[in-house]
Amino acid sequence: MTAATDTLRPIRNPNARRRRSPLARWFRRNERVALGLVGFVGFVLLWEFGSRSGFVDAFFFSKPSSIVSAAIREVQLPRFWNDVRVSAFEFAAGYFVAIAIAVPLGIIFGWYRRLSYMADPWLNLFNSLPRIALLPLIVLWVGLGVESKITVVFLGAFFSVIIPTVQGVRTVDRRFLDVARSFGASQRRLFTSVVAPATVPFIATGLRLGLGRALIGVVVGELYAQTDGLGVMIGKASNNIQPDRMFFAIIIFTVTGVVGVEGLRRVERYFDRWRPRLEEQP
Amino acid sequence: MAAQSGQLARRTHPPAERPRGVPLATEPLLFGILGFVVVLVLWEAAVDAGLVRSALMSSPTRIVGAGVADFSSGVIWPHIETSFQEWGVGFAVALVTGIPLGLALGMFRRVEYLFDPWLSALYATPTVALAPLIILLFGVGIESKYVVVFLEAFITMTISTIAGAHAADRRHLETAKSFGASKSLTFRSVILPSSVPFMITGVRIGAGRALVGVIVAEFIASNIGLGFYISINGTTLNASRVMLGILLLGGFGIVVGQLIRRLERRFDKWRPAIH
Amino acid sequence: MLKEGLALSARDVRMEYRDPTTRDRLVAIERMDLDIRQGEFAAIVGPSGCGKSTFLKIVNGLLPASEGEIEVRRPDHGKDHAMVFQDSSLFPWYTVIGNVSYGLVCQGVSRREANERAKPLIKLVGLEGFETKYPYQLSGGMQQRANLARALTVDPEILLMDEPFAALDAQTREIMQVELLRIWSQAQKTVLFITHQIDEAIFLSDRVIVMSARPGRILADIPIDLPRPRGLELKRTPEFTAYEDQVWKLIASQLTTAGQAAVA
Repeated sequence: MTAATDTLRPIRNPNARRRRSPLARWFRRNERVALGLVGFVGFVLLWEFGSRSGFVDAFFFSKPSSIVSAAIREVQLPRFWNDVRVSAFEFAAGYFVAIAIAVPLGIIFGWYRRLSYMADPWLNLFNSLPRIALLPLIVLWVGLGVESKITVVFLGAFFSVIIPTVQGVRTVDRRFLDVARSFGASQRRLFTSVVAPATVPFIATGLRLGLGRALIGVVVGELYAQTDGLGVMIGKASNNIQPDRMFFAIIIFTVTGVVGVEGLRRVERYFDRWRPRLEEQP
Repeated sequence: MAAQSGQLARRTHPPAERPRGVPLATEPLLFGILGFVVVLVLWEAAVDAGLVRSALMSSPTRIVGAGVADFSSGVIWPHIETSFQEWGVGFAVALVTGIPLGLALGMFRRVEYLFDPWLSALYATPTVALAPLIILLFGVGIESKYVVVFLEAFITMTISTIAGAHAADRRHLETAKSFGASKSLTFRSVILPSSVPFMITGVRIGAGRALVGVIVAEFIASNIGLGFYISINGTTLNASRVMLGILLLGGFGIVVGQLIRRLERRFDKWRPAIH
Repeated sequence: MLKEGLALSARDVRMEYRDPTTRDRLVAIERMDLDIRQGEFAAIVGPSGCGKSTFLKIVNGLLPASEGEIEVRRPDHGKDHAMVFQDSSLFPWYTVIGNVSYGLVCQGVSRREANERAKPLIKLVGLEGFETKYPYQLSGGMQQRANLARALTVDPEILLMDEPFAALDAQTREIMQVELLRIWSQAQKTVLFITHQIDEAIFLSDRVIVMSARPGRILADIPIDLPRPRGLELKRTPEFTAYEDQVWKLIASQLTTAGQAAVA
């Protein structure tokens, strides 16, 4: 056995605690946030100094400090606030009307099988169609005003919401329906106690997808039919080669998107509190 | 109990031909065709009866007519070719850059953390808003379209691929580790196979977004391509040609989507069916 | 009319259905004649696919039988029957108390009163302190305790149990068997219990009904003459193993015929 001993290696227990400085320990615990922050700040600095040194063409790409000063100038202009108001209205009207119609309709389609078979080809057609392509047609029908943007926002969100809703109702676990029926649940109770809770996660996914689509609808609608709104501001700022103003307007959309998605996630988590949370991978 | 046995719940059962809730296999197809045809017929009838103006609403037969005219005269081909080229180049470049980048970021956690805020922000941004700037930078020619299309497809593919690289089952990773697999073997034998479904999903969604990029870029500045064809016919009140263009784009989207879905199923053979 | 002292009576129940894809006619249950006395604990055992679960669904009214008649005694208070389903049939979106009171809420009882009335049953099944937990936070055994309580709250004449312990590990299963007997002796219900586990059927029941392979029919109706209250040590007595042998031989004969049929 002596021959074998020299091949033995000590096994280091990976879980053994090593002594680390408090800073290193903090870093290990908050690695994600810390590195994210580094990435964010680092890129902003690179952009800023690259621009100042002439490495990045400031004429086209501006620089963070210019964007900030453009933002400060803009928020003092009534025109800017008018653009924000118009875009916000178009977004809200299109998105919420889409939800108000898509959710109930999706539930009906999901519940009545034959109805959903009839609607399926149209839903699939419109869902795989880039709805943005409908813009010229929409402008043809309702003109260049806010109606055209509301319509395109609506179409963007509607199909993103209705398709998962239908799927959610259709895939409700039969077992739970059996349980409810065996306890003599009324049709209404069947809906409120089984169909609705089981479908909520699907609807939430749809709302999140729809939010992104609705924002794209606002931007493209306004770029296409330029009347008022932040999309118009983006278009005009690019034509006049004012990238600082343009980036400021885009950042507004980004923030809306990020905040909206995060807000919906919160709501979703509230409705989903009965579901085991997936453990964060360390 | 004996005295109060009067009340009874009684159920008699007539012979049942088919238990409720069991659909016939042909039902979806039957009702699907029915729903499709009914809408087309109503549309045509409404236009023919003069309930809606044909210049605005067109009708199924008028769309077919426009298609026959423009295909036989050949005027539509350059538009189709240009759009297809824009889509193909932008999509292909996004494919060969987005997937390796996604895998790399997915493998190296800390690098991913560095990029995470930017990727999330770009994901939430309607990136088509950058189209005017890109057109300004690269000119109104086809190059700017490549860039817009690339950007649209690239982000989706990268993010899906990262998610895929994370989806590797920890037990499989541990198995590889316990057999002493090298980093590259672990990558090939565990991480890559488990991320393929995510990649393909990203490719499918990216293909759709690339098409959006084609359309928007052509809307904003171009004199050729299907997006231009739709938009110019919209301003000249030619609804039939607008719808023809939309259907061509939609049809292309559906065909590409179906092809990728088929690929998806092929790569997923080892996975048990969920349904 | 239902005879005195009977809780359930099934006559000539036959079940056949058409396979939706192959369109073949399949006979799930050939013929079932079954009387269950009030307060009796009866178990149906049979090879898998013999139609025992289908029979329970018919009794429960979830499936219409093709032919035949089933009568269930309707008590003066409470429901005529309630079902304890297989594992993970608790609504995952309700807490324990929400699940247990569900049957009452379905009958139109107010949420508050239903919760009050559910409490003693939660205590009876030993889930006190877990009222506000969601099903995913419970172990398999605890989930089935809640499942049992949910059925008991509606105060049924007959408790229908569809392989309630099938998904539990061997030890939990034995604990739950003892628990079920304790709860049964306190709640005083008629029980119709479906299982494919022979020792479980014998240990729990006054009567074991053995079903044939598909198409299902009754092969034997064996009264289990073992003293109550029963403890797990009963399973090691010669009387118990004799019953096990008897039932196993009946089922084994079915398995071989089914196997031969499959080969032929």
